[in-house]
Amino acid sequence: MTATLKDLRPAYVAGIGFHRYQFISETPYVELGLTAVRAALADAALPWEAVESAYFAKALLPMAPGRAMLRHLGATGLPIVHVENASASGSAAFRHACMEVAAGLADIVLVVGVDKPMPVSRAESLARIGNLADDAFAPFTHFALLADAYASRTGASVEDIALVAVKNHRNGSMNQFAQHQKVRSLDEILGGKKIAGGFTSLQCTPVGEGAAAVIVASEEGLRRCGLGLDRAVRVVSSAGRSQRVYDDATRYDAMLTEETAAIALRDAQITAAHLDVVELHDAFTVEEVEYVEAMGLCGDGEAIPLLKEGAFDIGGRCAVSASGGLISMGHPIGPTGVGQIGEITRQLRGEAGARQQPGARTGLAHMVGVGAVCYVHVLQRP
Amino acid sequence: MDDLLKPTLYRPEGTPDAPTHPALLGGVCAGGHVFFPLQHYGCERCGSVDLKPKALSGVGRLLASARVHLHAGKSREAPFTVGSIQLDDGPIVRTLILDHDAALQAGTRMATTLVRVADAEGRACLDLRFEPEANAR
Repeated sequence: MTATLKDLRPAYVAGIGFHRYQFISETPYVELGLTAVRAALADAALPWEAVESAYFAKALLPMAPGRAMLRHLGATGLPIVHVENASASGSAAFRHACMEVAAGLADIVLVVGVDKPMPVSRAESLARIGNLADDAFAPFTHFALLADAYASRTGASVEDIALVAVKNHRNGSMNQFAQHQKVRSLDEILGGKKIAGGFTSLQCTPVGEGAAAVIVASEEGLRRCGLGLDRAVRVVSSAGRSQRVYDDATRYDAMLTEETAAIALRDAQITAAHLDVVELHDAFTVEEVEYVEAMGLCGDGEAIPLLKEGAFDIGGRCAVSASGGLISMGHPIGPTGVGQIGEITRQLRGEAGARQQPGARTGLAHMVGVGAVCYVHVLQRP
Repeated sequence: MDDLLKPTLYRPEGTPDAPTHPALLGGVCAGGHVFFPLQHYGCERCGSVDLKPKALSGVGRLLASARVHLHAGKSREAPFTVGSIQLDDGPIVRTLILDHDAALQAGTRMATTLVRVADAEGRACLDLRFEPEANAR
Protein backbone atom coordinates (compact mmCIF):
# COMPACT_ATOMS: atom_id res chain seq x y z
CA MET A 1 0.00 0.00 0.00
CA THR A 2 1.47 3.33 -1.01
CA ALA A 3 0.93 6.56 0.89
CA THR A 4 -1.02 9.61 -0.26
CA LEU A 5 0.07 13.18 0.31
CA LYS A 6 -2.37 13.41 3.23
CA ASP A 7 -0.64 10.51 4.98
CA LEU A 8 2.70 12.34 4.99
CA ARG A 9 3.96 15.43 6.75
CA PRO A 10 1.65 18.35 5.85
CA ALA A 11 2.88 20.61 3.01
CA TYR A 12 1.61 24.18 2.91
CA VAL A 13 1.62 26.99 0.38
CA ALA A 14 3.21 29.79 2.36
CA GLY A 15 3.83 32.43 -0.29
CA ILE A 16 2.61 33.42 -3.76
CA GLY A 17 3.89 35.87 -6.34
CA PHE A 18 3.27 36.85 -9.96
CA HIS A 19 4.58 38.81 -12.84
CA ARG A 20 1.57 39.84 -14.92
CA TYR A 21 0.80 37.54 -17.85
CA GLN A 22 1.15 39.72 -20.95
CA PHE A 23 1.72 39.78 -24.69
CA ILE A 24 5.29 39.10 -25.75
CA SER A 25 7.64 41.98 -25.00
CA GLU A 26 11.33 42.80 -24.77
CA THR A 27 11.31 41.99 -21.03
CA PRO A 28 13.92 39.28 -20.33
CA TYR A 29 12.63 36.08 -18.76
CA VAL A 30 15.00 36.74 -15.85
CA GLU A 31 13.09 39.89 -14.96
CA LEU A 32 9.72 38.15 -15.29
CA GLY A 33 10.79 35.30 -13.02
CA LEU A 34 12.63 37.33 -10.39
CA THR A 35 9.60 39.59 -10.01
CA ALA A 36 7.41 36.60 -9.19
CA VAL A 37 9.96 34.94 -6.88
CA ARG A 38 10.66 38.14 -4.91
CA ALA A 39 6.90 38.70 -4.57
CA ALA A 40 6.40 35.14 -3.28
CA LEU A 41 9.24 35.49 -0.76
CA ALA A 42 7.84 38.81 0.44
CA ASP A 43 4.34 37.33 0.67
CA ALA A 44 5.69 34.45 2.78
CA ALA A 45 7.93 36.81 4.80
CA LEU A 46 10.82 34.43 4.12
CA PRO A 47 14.40 35.28 3.15
CA TRP A 48 15.82 33.69 -0.01
CA GLU A 49 18.46 31.97 2.12
CA ALA A 50 15.71 29.91 3.77
CA VAL A 51 14.80 28.23 0.46
CA GLU A 52 16.41 24.79 0.30
CA SER A 53 15.32 23.53 -3.11
CA ALA A 54 13.85 24.96 -6.33
CA TYR A 55 11.66 23.64 -9.14
CA PHE A 56 11.66 25.67 -12.37
CA ALA A 57 8.74 25.04 -14.73
CA LYS A 58 9.03 25.99 -18.38
CA ALA A 59 7.98 24.57 -21.71
CA LEU A 60 9.22 27.10 -24.25
CA LEU A 61 12.45 28.60 -22.88
CA PRO A 62 15.70 26.93 -23.98
CA MET A 63 17.67 24.47 -21.83
CA ALA A 64 18.65 25.29 -18.23
CA PRO A 65 17.22 28.76 -17.56
CA GLY A 66 16.95 28.20 -13.79
CA ARG A 67 20.31 29.05 -12.29
CA ALA A 68 20.86 31.85 -14.79
CA MET A 69 17.86 33.53 -13.18
CA LEU A 70 17.98 32.41 -9.55
CA ARG A 71 21.67 33.35 -9.08
CA HIS A 72 20.54 36.99 -8.96
CA LEU A 73 18.89 36.24 -5.62
CA GLY A 74 22.24 35.00 -4.32
CA ALA A 75 23.86 31.76 -5.47
CA THR A 76 23.14 29.69 -2.38
CA GLY A 77 23.93 26.38 -4.07
CA LEU A 78 20.41 24.99 -3.68
CA PRO A 79 19.37 22.13 -5.99
CA ILE A 80 17.41 23.25 -9.06
CA VAL A 81 15.22 20.94 -11.13
CA HIS A 82 13.72 22.04 -14.46
CA VAL A 83 10.30 20.61 -15.23
CA GLU A 84 8.86 20.45 -18.76
CA ASN A 85 5.43 18.89 -19.01
CA ALA A 86 3.76 21.03 -21.70
CA SER A 87 0.86 23.06 -20.30
CA ALA A 88 1.09 21.11 -17.06
CA SER A 89 4.76 22.00 -16.43
CA GLY A 90 3.95 24.26 -13.49
CA SER A 91 1.49 21.77 -11.99
CA ALA A 92 4.04 18.95 -12.23
CA ALA A 93 6.72 21.13 -10.64
CA PHE A 94 4.34 21.99 -7.80
CA ARG A 95 3.53 18.31 -7.23
CA HIS A 96 7.21 17.42 -6.87
CA ALA A 97 7.86 20.32 -4.52
CA CYS A 98 4.98 19.10 -2.33
CA MET A 99 6.38 15.58 -2.39
CA GLU A 100 9.82 16.82 -1.32
CA VAL A 101 8.40 18.76 1.62
CA ALA A 102 5.91 16.03 2.59
CA ALA A 103 8.68 13.41 2.52
CA GLY A 104 10.73 15.51 4.91
CA LEU A 105 13.60 16.02 2.48
CA ALA A 106 13.27 19.81 2.62
CA ASP A 107 11.31 22.33 4.70
CA ILE A 108 11.05 25.28 2.33
CA VAL A 109 10.89 24.85 -1.45
CA LEU A 110 10.39 27.30 -4.30
CA VAL A 111 8.27 26.54 -7.36
CA VAL A 112 8.57 29.09 -10.15
CA GLY A 113 7.13 28.99 -13.65
CA VAL A 114 8.51 31.31 -16.31
CA ASP A 115 8.10 31.29 -20.09
CA LYS A 116 8.24 33.45 -23.18
CA PRO A 117 6.70 32.45 -26.52
CA MET A 118 9.31 30.79 -28.72
CA PRO A 119 9.10 28.36 -31.65
CA VAL A 120 8.95 24.78 -30.43
CA SER A 121 8.01 21.49 -32.03
CA ARG A 122 6.35 18.44 -30.54
CA ALA A 123 8.57 15.43 -29.96
CA GLU A 124 5.76 13.17 -31.19
CA SER A 125 6.44 14.48 -34.70
CA LEU A 126 9.89 12.86 -34.49
CA ALA A 127 8.47 9.35 -33.98
CA ARG A 128 8.20 8.88 -37.76
CA ILE A 129 4.63 7.68 -37.50
CA GLY A 130 2.68 9.10 -40.42
CA ASN A 131 -0.47 11.19 -40.16
CA LEU A 132 -3.20 12.09 -42.58
CA ALA A 133 -3.22 15.85 -42.04
CA ASP A 134 -1.78 16.83 -38.65
CA ASP A 135 -0.57 20.10 -40.16
CA ALA A 136 -4.24 21.12 -40.34
CA PHE A 137 -4.76 20.67 -36.59
CA ALA A 138 -3.79 23.43 -34.18
CA PRO A 139 -4.97 23.11 -30.55
CA PHE A 140 -7.99 25.29 -31.35
CA THR A 141 -8.92 22.92 -34.18
CA HIS A 142 -8.88 19.95 -31.82
CA PHE A 143 -11.10 21.76 -29.34
CA ALA A 144 -13.40 23.12 -32.08
CA LEU A 145 -14.15 19.49 -32.93
CA LEU A 146 -14.82 18.77 -29.26
CA ALA A 147 -17.15 21.78 -29.09
CA ASP A 148 -19.06 20.48 -32.10
CA ALA A 149 -19.29 17.05 -30.50
CA TYR A 150 -20.42 18.56 -27.16
CA ALA A 151 -23.12 20.55 -28.95
CA SER A 152 -24.32 17.43 -30.78
CA ARG A 153 -24.33 15.40 -27.57
CA THR A 154 -26.05 17.91 -25.29
CA GLY A 155 -27.95 20.28 -27.56
CA ALA A 156 -25.82 23.24 -26.44
CA SER A 157 -25.46 26.11 -28.91
CA VAL A 158 -22.38 28.10 -29.89
CA GLU A 159 -23.81 30.97 -27.84
CA ASP A 160 -24.22 28.74 -24.78
CA ILE A 161 -20.60 27.59 -24.85
CA ALA A 162 -19.37 31.17 -25.38
CA LEU A 163 -20.93 32.13 -22.01
CA VAL A 164 -17.84 30.61 -20.40
CA ALA A 165 -15.81 33.40 -22.01
CA VAL A 166 -18.23 36.08 -20.76
CA LYS A 167 -17.77 34.83 -17.18
CA ASN A 168 -14.02 34.38 -17.38
CA HIS A 169 -13.34 37.75 -19.02
CA ARG A 170 -15.48 39.34 -16.29
CA ASN A 171 -13.37 37.60 -13.64
CA GLY A 172 -10.12 38.51 -15.39
CA SER A 173 -11.13 42.17 -15.55
CA MET A 174 -10.66 42.22 -11.76
CA ASN A 175 -7.24 40.53 -11.80
CA GLN A 176 -4.24 42.82 -12.04
CA PHE A 177 -2.08 39.91 -13.24
CA ALA A 178 -4.38 38.86 -16.09
CA GLN A 179 -3.35 39.31 -19.72
CA HIS A 180 -6.92 40.34 -20.70
CA GLN A 181 -8.50 42.70 -18.16
CA LYS A 182 -11.67 43.77 -19.91
CA VAL A 183 -15.32 42.83 -19.43
CA ARG A 184 -16.71 41.43 -22.70
CA SER A 185 -20.33 41.02 -23.74
CA LEU A 186 -21.59 37.89 -25.46
CA ASP A 187 -22.03 39.91 -28.66
CA GLU A 188 -18.43 41.15 -28.49
CA ILE A 189 -17.18 37.62 -27.97
CA LEU A 190 -19.25 36.08 -30.75
CA GLY A 191 -18.45 38.99 -33.09
CA GLY A 192 -14.69 38.63 -32.76
CA LYS A 193 -12.29 37.15 -35.26
CA LYS A 194 -13.43 33.68 -36.37
CA ILE A 195 -10.91 30.96 -35.55
CA ALA A 196 -12.45 27.52 -36.07
CA GLY A 197 -15.94 26.09 -35.69
CA GLY A 198 -17.85 28.31 -33.27
CA PHE A 199 -14.67 29.70 -31.70
CA THR A 200 -13.77 33.34 -31.97
CA SER A 201 -10.54 34.80 -30.64
CA LEU A 202 -11.96 35.77 -27.22
CA GLN A 203 -12.98 32.17 -26.60
CA CYS A 204 -9.36 31.04 -26.94
CA THR A 205 -6.53 31.55 -24.48
CA PRO A 206 -3.85 34.07 -25.33
CA VAL A 207 -0.39 32.49 -25.10
CA GLY A 208 1.95 35.21 -23.88
CA GLU A 209 4.71 35.59 -21.32
CA GLY A 210 4.76 35.92 -17.54
CA ALA A 211 5.77 34.25 -14.32
CA ALA A 212 4.25 32.79 -11.17
CA ALA A 213 5.91 31.51 -8.02
CA VAL A 214 4.82 29.75 -4.84
CA ILE A 215 6.66 28.75 -1.70
CA VAL A 216 5.86 25.26 -0.39
CA ALA A 217 6.80 24.74 3.25
CA SER A 218 6.45 22.50 6.26
CA GLU A 219 5.19 23.79 9.58
CA GLU A 220 8.63 23.08 11.07
CA GLY A 221 10.32 25.17 8.40
CA LEU A 222 7.97 28.09 8.93
CA ARG A 223 8.33 27.96 12.73
CA ARG A 224 12.13 27.85 12.39
CA CYS A 225 11.85 31.16 10.51
CA GLY A 226 9.62 32.62 13.22
CA LEU A 227 6.41 32.14 11.20
CA GLY A 228 3.16 30.31 11.81
CA LEU A 229 0.36 28.86 9.72
CA ASP A 230 -1.84 31.99 9.84
CA ARG A 231 -1.87 32.51 6.08
CA ALA A 232 -0.74 29.02 5.05
CA VAL A 233 -2.94 26.81 2.88
CA ARG A 234 -2.53 23.05 3.08
CA VAL A 235 -2.05 20.91 -0.01
CA VAL A 236 -4.25 17.95 0.88
CA SER A 237 -3.88 15.88 -2.29
CA SER A 238 -1.94 15.66 -5.51
CA ALA A 239 -2.71 13.42 -8.47
CA GLY A 240 -0.94 13.01 -11.80
CA ARG A 241 -1.97 10.76 -14.69
CA SER A 242 -1.37 10.29 -18.39
CA GLN A 243 -3.72 9.33 -21.19
CA ARG A 244 -4.81 5.70 -21.59
CA VAL A 245 -6.73 4.14 -24.46
CA TYR A 246 -10.33 5.22 -23.99
CA ASP A 247 -13.49 3.93 -25.65
CA ASP A 248 -14.30 7.48 -26.75
CA ALA A 249 -10.86 8.38 -28.06
CA THR A 250 -11.78 11.94 -29.06
CA ARG A 251 -12.66 12.91 -25.47
CA TYR A 252 -9.36 11.86 -23.94
CA ASP A 253 -8.90 15.22 -22.17
CA ALA A 254 -12.20 14.81 -20.34
CA MET A 255 -11.67 11.11 -19.62
CA LEU A 256 -8.19 11.83 -18.27
CA THR A 257 -9.56 14.69 -16.20
CA GLU A 258 -12.29 12.46 -14.77
CA GLU A 259 -9.91 9.81 -13.51
CA THR A 260 -7.25 12.25 -12.25
CA ALA A 261 -9.77 14.43 -10.41
CA ALA A 262 -11.37 11.32 -8.89
CA ILE A 263 -8.02 10.30 -7.41
CA ALA A 264 -7.32 13.78 -6.04
CA LEU A 265 -10.78 14.05 -4.47
CA ARG A 266 -10.58 10.53 -3.02
CA ASP A 267 -7.15 11.21 -1.51
CA ALA A 268 -8.44 14.49 -0.07
CA GLN A 269 -11.39 12.53 1.40
CA ILE A 270 -13.93 14.91 -0.10
CA THR A 271 -16.32 15.01 -3.06
CA ALA A 272 -16.65 17.65 -5.76
CA ALA A 273 -19.59 19.07 -3.81
CA HIS A 274 -17.11 20.33 -1.20
CA LEU A 275 -15.24 22.51 -3.70
CA ASP A 276 -15.64 26.27 -3.30
CA VAL A 277 -13.15 27.39 -5.99
CA VAL A 278 -11.77 25.61 -9.05
CA GLU A 279 -9.10 26.72 -11.47
CA LEU A 280 -9.08 24.53 -14.56
CA HIS A 281 -7.52 24.28 -18.01
CA ASP A 282 -10.02 26.48 -19.88
CA ALA A 283 -7.74 27.20 -22.84
CA PHE A 284 -10.90 27.01 -24.96
CA THR A 285 -14.45 27.61 -23.73
CA VAL A 286 -15.67 24.09 -24.35
CA GLU A 287 -13.00 22.74 -22.02
CA GLU A 288 -14.61 24.35 -18.98
CA VAL A 289 -18.00 22.75 -19.59
CA GLU A 290 -16.38 19.40 -20.35
CA TYR A 291 -14.17 19.49 -17.25
CA VAL A 292 -16.71 20.66 -14.66
CA GLU A 293 -18.79 17.67 -15.73
CA ALA A 294 -15.78 15.33 -15.79
CA MET A 295 -14.64 16.27 -12.30
CA GLY A 296 -18.14 15.83 -10.90
CA LEU A 297 -19.15 19.42 -10.18
CA CYS A 298 -22.30 18.52 -12.10
CA GLY A 299 -23.71 15.70 -14.18
CA ASP A 300 -23.20 15.09 -17.89
CA GLY A 301 -24.88 17.79 -19.95
CA GLU A 302 -25.67 19.94 -16.88
CA ALA A 303 -22.83 22.47 -17.20
CA ILE A 304 -24.59 24.93 -19.51
CA PRO A 305 -27.83 25.26 -17.48
CA LEU A 306 -25.74 25.75 -14.32
CA LEU A 307 -23.48 28.25 -16.06
CA LYS A 308 -26.58 30.23 -17.06
CA GLU A 309 -27.87 30.13 -13.47
CA GLY A 310 -24.57 31.56 -12.22
CA ALA A 311 -23.53 28.44 -10.31
CA PHE A 312 -19.92 28.85 -11.50
CA ASP A 313 -19.75 32.61 -10.97
CA ILE A 314 -17.90 34.19 -8.09
CA GLY A 315 -20.60 34.02 -5.41
CA GLY A 316 -22.16 30.93 -7.00
CA ARG A 317 -21.99 27.45 -5.57
CA CYS A 318 -18.41 26.98 -6.87
CA ALA A 319 -16.40 29.78 -8.47
CA VAL A 320 -14.76 28.36 -11.59
CA SER A 321 -11.81 30.25 -13.08
CA ALA A 322 -12.16 33.15 -10.64
CA SER A 323 -8.73 34.34 -11.79
CA GLY A 324 -10.10 34.73 -15.31
CA GLY A 325 -8.76 31.30 -16.18
CA LEU A 326 -6.59 30.64 -19.17
CA ILE A 327 -9.08 32.46 -21.40
CA SER A 328 -8.65 35.80 -19.65
CA MET A 329 -5.69 35.54 -17.29
CA GLY A 330 -3.69 33.90 -20.07
CA HIS A 331 -1.58 30.84 -20.60
CA PRO A 332 2.17 31.52 -20.70
CA ILE A 333 2.58 27.70 -20.38
CA GLY A 334 5.30 27.19 -17.74
CA PRO A 335 3.76 29.57 -15.17
CA THR A 336 0.11 28.63 -15.68
CA GLY A 337 -0.17 25.69 -13.28
CA VAL A 338 1.81 27.59 -10.62
CA GLY A 339 -0.44 30.61 -11.08
CA GLN A 340 -3.51 28.45 -10.48
CA ILE A 341 -2.08 27.45 -7.09
CA GLY A 342 -1.45 31.13 -6.37
CA GLU A 343 -5.06 32.00 -7.15
CA ILE A 344 -6.49 29.14 -5.07
CA THR A 345 -4.23 30.15 -2.16
CA ARG A 346 -5.35 33.76 -2.42
CA GLN A 347 -9.00 32.67 -2.43
CA LEU A 348 -8.62 30.31 0.56
CA ARG A 349 -6.85 33.01 2.53
CA GLY A 350 -9.77 35.35 1.83
CA GLU A 351 -7.43 37.83 0.14
CA ALA A 352 -8.88 37.86 -3.40
CA GLY A 353 -10.58 41.26 -3.05
CA ALA A 354 -13.28 41.84 -5.67
CA ARG A 355 -12.80 38.29 -6.94
CA GLN A 356 -13.26 36.68 -3.53
CA GLN A 357 -15.50 33.61 -3.38
CA PRO A 358 -17.33 34.07 -0.06
CA GLY A 359 -16.37 31.53 2.59
CA ALA A 360 -13.95 29.66 0.35
CA ARG A 361 -12.35 26.79 2.28
CA THR A 362 -11.53 24.13 -0.32
CA GLY A 363 -10.10 24.62 -3.80
CA LEU A 364 -8.99 22.48 -6.71
CA ALA A 365 -6.45 23.21 -9.45
CA HIS A 366 -6.51 21.20 -12.70
CA MET A 367 -4.27 21.21 -15.74
CA VAL A 368 -3.96 19.07 -18.81
CA GLY A 369 -0.94 19.17 -21.08
CA VAL A 370 -0.11 17.93 -24.52
CA GLY A 371 0.65 14.24 -24.40
CA ALA A 372 -1.81 14.08 -22.77
CA VAL A 373 -0.95 14.46 -19.11
CA CYS A 374 -3.16 15.71 -16.28
CA TYR A 375 -2.54 17.05 -12.76
CA VAL A 376 -5.04 17.85 -10.04
CA HIS A 377 -4.34 19.36 -6.62
CA VAL A 378 -6.74 19.98 -3.76
CA LEU A 379 -5.93 22.71 -1.25
CA GLN A 380 -7.66 23.57 2.02
CA ARG A 381 -7.56 26.29 4.61
CA PRO A 382 -6.33 24.67 7.85
CA MET B 1 -2.79 7.55 -62.06
CA ASP B 2 -0.79 10.16 -60.17
CA ASP B 3 1.41 9.10 -57.26
CA LEU B 4 -0.05 9.09 -53.78
CA LEU B 5 1.09 11.88 -51.42
CA LYS B 6 1.25 9.51 -48.43
CA PRO B 7 1.41 5.92 -49.74
CA THR B 8 2.24 4.48 -46.32
CA LEU B 9 -1.14 5.65 -44.99
CA TYR B 10 -3.67 4.68 -47.69
CA ARG B 11 -4.05 2.86 -51.02
CA PRO B 12 -6.39 3.39 -53.98
CA GLU B 13 -7.91 -0.07 -53.64
CA GLY B 14 -10.68 -0.64 -51.14
CA THR B 15 -11.42 -3.59 -48.89
CA PRO B 16 -13.99 -6.34 -49.50
CA ASP B 17 -16.37 -4.44 -47.18
CA ALA B 18 -15.92 -1.11 -49.00
CA PRO B 19 -14.43 -1.94 -52.40
CA THR B 20 -15.01 1.45 -54.02
CA HIS B 21 -13.34 3.56 -51.33
CA PRO B 22 -9.58 3.80 -50.75
CA ALA B 23 -8.48 1.77 -47.73
CA LEU B 24 -6.50 3.15 -44.79
CA LEU B 25 -3.37 1.21 -43.87
CA GLY B 26 -3.71 0.38 -40.20
CA GLY B 27 -2.67 -2.46 -37.99
CA VAL B 28 -3.95 -5.01 -35.53
CA CYS B 29 -2.26 -6.29 -32.39
CA ALA B 30 -2.20 -9.93 -31.35
CA GLY B 31 -4.70 -8.95 -28.65
CA GLY B 32 -7.15 -7.67 -31.27
CA HIS B 33 -6.66 -3.92 -30.85
CA VAL B 34 -7.10 -2.23 -34.24
CA PHE B 35 -5.21 1.00 -34.80
CA PHE B 36 -4.25 3.58 -37.42
CA PRO B 37 -1.73 4.30 -38.77
CA LEU B 38 0.42 1.19 -38.83
CA GLN B 39 3.46 1.36 -36.54
CA HIS B 40 5.80 -1.27 -35.16
CA TYR B 41 6.95 0.29 -31.86
CA GLY B 42 4.33 -1.50 -29.77
CA CYS B 43 0.60 -1.64 -29.08
CA GLU B 44 -0.78 1.37 -27.19
CA ARG B 45 -3.32 -0.80 -25.42
CA CYS B 46 -1.20 -3.79 -24.29
CA GLY B 47 2.44 -3.14 -25.24
CA SER B 48 2.66 -6.13 -27.56
CA VAL B 49 5.11 -5.87 -30.47
CA ASP B 50 3.19 -8.56 -32.35
CA LEU B 51 1.59 -6.05 -34.71
CA LYS B 52 0.35 -6.93 -38.19
CA PRO B 53 -0.80 -4.73 -41.09
CA LYS B 54 -4.56 -4.47 -41.57
CA ALA B 55 -6.31 -2.59 -44.36
CA LEU B 56 -9.18 -0.59 -42.88
CA SER B 57 -12.34 0.11 -44.83
CA GLY B 58 -12.61 3.74 -45.93
CA VAL B 59 -16.07 4.23 -44.49
CA GLY B 60 -17.32 5.39 -41.12
CA ARG B 61 -19.44 7.83 -39.15
CA LEU B 62 -18.80 11.53 -38.64
CA LEU B 63 -18.32 12.36 -34.95
CA ALA B 64 -17.63 16.09 -35.32
CA SER B 65 -16.53 18.68 -37.85
CA ALA B 66 -15.29 22.26 -37.85
CA ARG B 67 -14.68 24.88 -40.48
CA VAL B 68 -11.20 26.33 -39.87
CA HIS B 69 -11.04 30.07 -40.58
CA LEU B 70 -7.54 30.84 -39.34
CA HIS B 71 -4.46 28.74 -39.93
CA ALA B 72 -0.83 29.63 -39.28
CA GLY B 73 0.79 26.94 -41.42
CA LYS B 74 2.03 28.13 -44.80
CA SER B 75 1.33 24.80 -46.49
CA ARG B 76 -2.44 25.09 -46.19
CA GLU B 77 -4.70 28.02 -46.81
CA ALA B 78 -7.84 28.60 -44.69
CA PRO B 79 -10.74 28.17 -44.83
CA PHE B 80 -10.94 24.41 -44.88
CA THR B 81 -12.96 21.78 -43.04
CA VAL B 82 -11.72 19.10 -40.66
CA GLY B 83 -13.55 16.25 -39.06
CA SER B 84 -13.22 13.27 -36.79
CA ILE B 85 -14.56 10.03 -38.21
CA GLN B 86 -15.06 6.72 -36.46
CA LEU B 87 -14.18 4.08 -39.00
CA ASP B 88 -16.42 1.04 -39.24
CA ASP B 89 -13.30 -0.95 -38.37
CA GLY B 90 -12.92 0.89 -35.04
CA PRO B 91 -10.20 3.57 -35.04
CA ILE B 92 -11.08 7.26 -35.00
CA VAL B 93 -9.22 9.40 -37.53
CA ARG B 94 -9.02 13.19 -37.75
CA THR B 95 -8.41 14.66 -41.15
CA LEU B 96 -9.61 16.97 -43.91
CA ILE B 97 -13.13 16.81 -45.27
CA LEU B 98 -13.74 17.64 -48.89
CA ASP B 99 -15.02 21.20 -49.18
CA HIS B 100 -18.76 21.24 -49.09
CA ASP B 101 -21.60 23.74 -49.06
CA ALA B 102 -23.98 22.29 -46.49
CA ALA B 103 -23.28 22.01 -42.75
CA LEU B 104 -22.27 18.52 -41.73
CA GLN B 105 -24.25 16.68 -39.10
CA ALA B 106 -22.71 14.31 -36.56
CA GLY B 107 -23.65 10.78 -37.49
CA THR B 108 -23.38 11.35 -41.24
CA ARG B 109 -21.97 8.33 -43.07
CA MET B 110 -18.58 9.28 -44.53
CA ALA B 111 -16.30 7.66 -47.08
CA THR B 112 -12.78 8.16 -48.38
CA THR B 113 -11.90 9.60 -51.75
CA LEU B 114 -8.66 10.64 -53.44
CA VAL B 115 -8.25 14.22 -54.61
CA ARG B 116 -5.55 15.83 -56.72
CA VAL B 117 -3.18 18.10 -54.75
CA ALA B 118 0.34 19.44 -55.21
CA ASP B 119 3.21 18.06 -53.15
CA ALA B 120 5.92 20.25 -51.54
CA GLU B 121 7.71 20.50 -54.89
CA GLY B 122 4.53 21.40 -56.78
CA ARG B 123 4.08 18.04 -58.48
CA ALA B 124 0.53 16.75 -58.91
CA CYS B 125 -0.33 13.81 -56.68
CA LEU B 126 -3.32 12.29 -54.89
CA ASP B 127 -4.22 12.77 -51.24
CA LEU B 128 -6.97 11.29 -49.08
CA ARG B 129 -10.09 13.13 -48.01
CA PHE B 130 -13.40 12.13 -46.46
CA GLU B 131 -16.77 13.23 -47.79
CA PRO B 132 -20.37 12.28 -47.07
CA GLU B 133 -20.92 8.79 -48.46
CA ALA B 134 -23.98 10.06 -50.28
CA ASN B 135 -21.77 12.44 -52.30
CA ALA B 136 -19.06 9.87 -52.96
CA ARG B 137 -18.31 9.17 -56.57
